[in-house]
Parts: sequence; structure tokens; C-alpha cells
Amino acid sequence: MRTLRTVRRAVVLAVVGASSLGAQTKVNRGLPLNSDAAIRIYNSVGTVRVVGWNRDSVNVRGVLGKGTTLHMGGGRAGIKMFVEGIDDRNPAPANIEVSVPARSKVWVKTATADIEVTGVTGSLDLYVVGGKISVNGNPADVNAEAIDGSIKVVGSPGWMRAKSASGDVTLDGSSADVTISTVSGKIDADGMGFEKAKFETVTGSIRFAGSFRRGGLVNFDTHSGSVEVGVSSGSPADFDVVSIAGPISNKLTSGRPVAGRYGRGAELTTSSGNGGTRVQIRSFKGPVSLIKID
Amino acid sequence: MTDDTLDEDRIRDLEARVAQLPREIEPPADSWIAIRKGIAEDKRTSRPSVRIWQRPVYLAAAALLLVAGSSVVTAIALGRRAPSDSGVAVASRDASRPQGAPATLAEFTLVENEYISTVNRLSESLESEDMQLAPETIAKLRESLRVIDEAILEARRALAADPANKELVEMLSTSYNHKLDLLRRTTEMGRS
Repeated sequence: MRTLRTVRRAVVLAVVGASSLGAQTKVNRGLPLNSDAAIRIYNSVGTVRVVGWNRDSVNVRGVLGKGTTLHMGGGRAGIKMFVEGIDDRNPAPANIEVSVPARSKVWVKTATADIEVTGVTGSLDLYVVGGKISVNGNPADVNAEAIDGSIKVVGSPGWMRAKSASGDVTLDGSSADVTISTVSGKIDADGMGFEKAKFETVTGSIRFAGSFRRGGLVNFDTHSGSVEVGVSSGSPADFDVVSIAGPISNKLTSGRPVAGRYGRGAELTTSSGNGGTRVQIRSFKGPVSLIKID
Repeated sequence: MTDDTLDEDRIRDLEARVAQLPREIEPPADSWIAIRKGIAEDKRTSRPSVRIWQRPVYLAAAALLLVAGSSVVTAIALGRRAPSDSGVAVASRDASRPQGAPATLAEFTLVENEYISTVNRLSESLESEDMQLAPETIAKLRESLRVIDEAILEARRALAADPANKELVEMLSTSYNHKLDLLRRTTEMGRS
């Protein structure tokens, strides 16, 4: 009797599994493409993985959810692809991996689908509402925007803009020109040779650890989040710190904060590494600390 | 997605400070242009029909222009600052501020009207349009806007108590830019 039940369960599971597999569609398509072509990808739900490769073509592989269709077309200079579902309000997820020429210009937009990009040296425009964005490599430029998703960049893009509202933004690497902005998400930047940079948040915390390039201009702005700036010894910086109502702590140089010029708050003006890069930190009431890192 | 107003105590305090100001001063050069534009826009917005520039795409573009304009002013201000000479950094903050940039509560009020006007239109657009945003995303968006509104209110109160504090004016501008940018981005993303 027990054996019969087990067999019956196995049959039921096999049928359910088969029908669920049958509801999905595997996709594997390719098109020739110029090495610096423009590629636009739209997938609402699921995942989008973009991989740069050394071929003059694009290839899409993946699994599409029930009722979804992949549309794809264009010429050698550029292609567009998007996943379309039957029910826009409740779309089935599609998980796709798109191999693109490494130097191409890639644009991806999703709702909740996570975006992961690896090995692209061209430009990236990435937009999610609630998914995560992850970039690995050294693209020429990155523009990443999320509403409540997180953004993580590991590498050294030449130019970077990353914005999220409640999601965290992380940069592990460097960029000559970077702007990171959040409302309540944390900002974490770890790298060397920052020249033109802006880190701004409303209530999220900002943690910076790295060095500046001489002649640069770096800004940190917060309303109530904490700002921790860790600088390696010898990194050139002229600090100009203003806080309306938050404390300022300096463990980097011998400079001490003084009372604010408007009769409130505190200010600190100090230099490290013989100066040469203007570092302005502005806080309404978030604590600011300068520390030395090795 | 509402705008903040001063409470009565703050208004009385502000009135007392205003009473101490000189009776006549030269208005900023572009005041009348901004006022005329504001009056003309108010007349247009009072009409019930939706005009072409009230469409989300134009509102988003307007927000972008406002943010970009504000950023240009900030960039000019930062760019004109001396790169070194840290001993006079505080003084250079004021000296480097461009003539047209708001530096006091009174001057900022003119710019603030434009911020509020654009924020209101974008907010209305977000609420009225059929946005493809999940309820949880809308909830998080509202929470983010509430966070920014609190920051604006706090900076606004501090500025009312200290109307000549230029740092507060810049902080307030930054908070408004956060709000405009978030509304603009959400409008664009929600209409995919």
C-alpha cells in the first residue's frame, strides 16, 4: 500500500514537473553585430545578465516564463530586444543571458528583474525600479538608476552616475568622475584616485575609504546620515567641513573643529598630504568623521 | 507628496525679522521675469483642460531643466572656489558664490516657488497617470518622499530662524533637487 502511494506521488510530481517545464520556453538566438553597436534590452521580471565577449555578434540564451515572448531585431549598428508577457500586471519571469561585443553600448531597463553586467568596456545605461544592479569590469561609463533597488559596481568605470532612493549604492574600485546619490540608502565607496566625485544622501550613511587625485573636487552632502571619510596617508586633500547641527570628528589631521560662522553648528578647515584636492563635506545634522586609513 | 508650510510661531518670528529690514531695497534683476512667468503659469494651470506641457514627459523635462539649472549654479559656485588656500576656505565660500544664486531666505523663496510648482505637477502626474508600478514600490516611493519632505521642512525651519545662512540655502536646494529628481525618475520609469 505504501509502495503504491509512493508510486502515485512520483507520477503526480512527474506530471506537474513536466507541465511546468512545458510552460517555459528556452530561447537561444543570435545576430551579427558591429563591435561598437548599440543594444537595448527590456525585461520586466526575472533576470538580465549581460556578458561582454570578443565577437561581432549578439547571442541571447535563457528561459522565458509561461506566455512570454522574446522579440528581437535590428541591424549591425544596433538591435533592440524585449520580453513581452500576456499579462502586463502579473508577468511571468524571464531569465536571459545576453552576450554582446565588449565595446558595445548597452541599455537595459527592468521593473523588478535584476541586472548583472560583466566584461563590457563600452557604455552602460541601466534602469531598474525594484531590482538589483550589479556591474563588474571597467566600462567607459555607467549610468545606473533604481527606485528602491541596490546598485553595486566593482571596477573602474571612466564615468559613473548611480542613483537610488532607498537602495544602497556601492563602488568598489575607482572612477575619475563619479556621482552617487540616494535618499535613505547607504553609500559605500572604496577605491583610489578619485578626482571629481560627489556623494550625496538625505538620511543614508556615507562611507568613503580611499585616496584623491591632486587637483580634484570631491563633495559629500548629507542631511542626517553619517559621513565617514577615510583617507590614506599622503592623499592630497583640503577639507572644508560644515555641519549645521551635527558633530565633526577629526582623526586624520591635527585640525580641530570650530564653532560655525552663523552662530551654530561647527566647521573644520584642514589639509592632508600637502593639499591640492578640494574636499567639501556638508551636513545638516549627520555626524562627520575624518579618519586615517592604511 | 504635499508641500510644507511654516507654522504660526515661525511666521510671527519671520515677520518680526522682516520688520527690522530696510523699507526699500533694489530687487534682484530677474525678479519681474520670474513673477510674470509665475502669474502666467498660474493662469494656465487654473484651466481645467490638460495642456501639452502638462504631460508627464514635458513635466519630467521641466524637472530635469530645473535640476540641471540648479546644478549649473552650484557647479559655477564650486568651480569658482579657490582650489587651495584652506585657511580662507570659509571666506572663499561666500566670495565665490555667483551673483544670481540665492543666498538668503528671501532670495530662495523665488526659486522655491518654481521648485514647489514643478514638484506639484509631477506629483499630480504620478497620481493621475496609469503608472506601471507595484504597490510596494509606490509605498517605498512615498516613504522616500516623506524622508525628503522632513529634510526640507527641517532645513526650512532652520533657515527661517537664520535667514542669512547660505549653507542652509544650499542644503535646502539640494533636498529639493533630490525630490525633483526622484519624481522625475519615477515618472519616466513608471511609464515604460
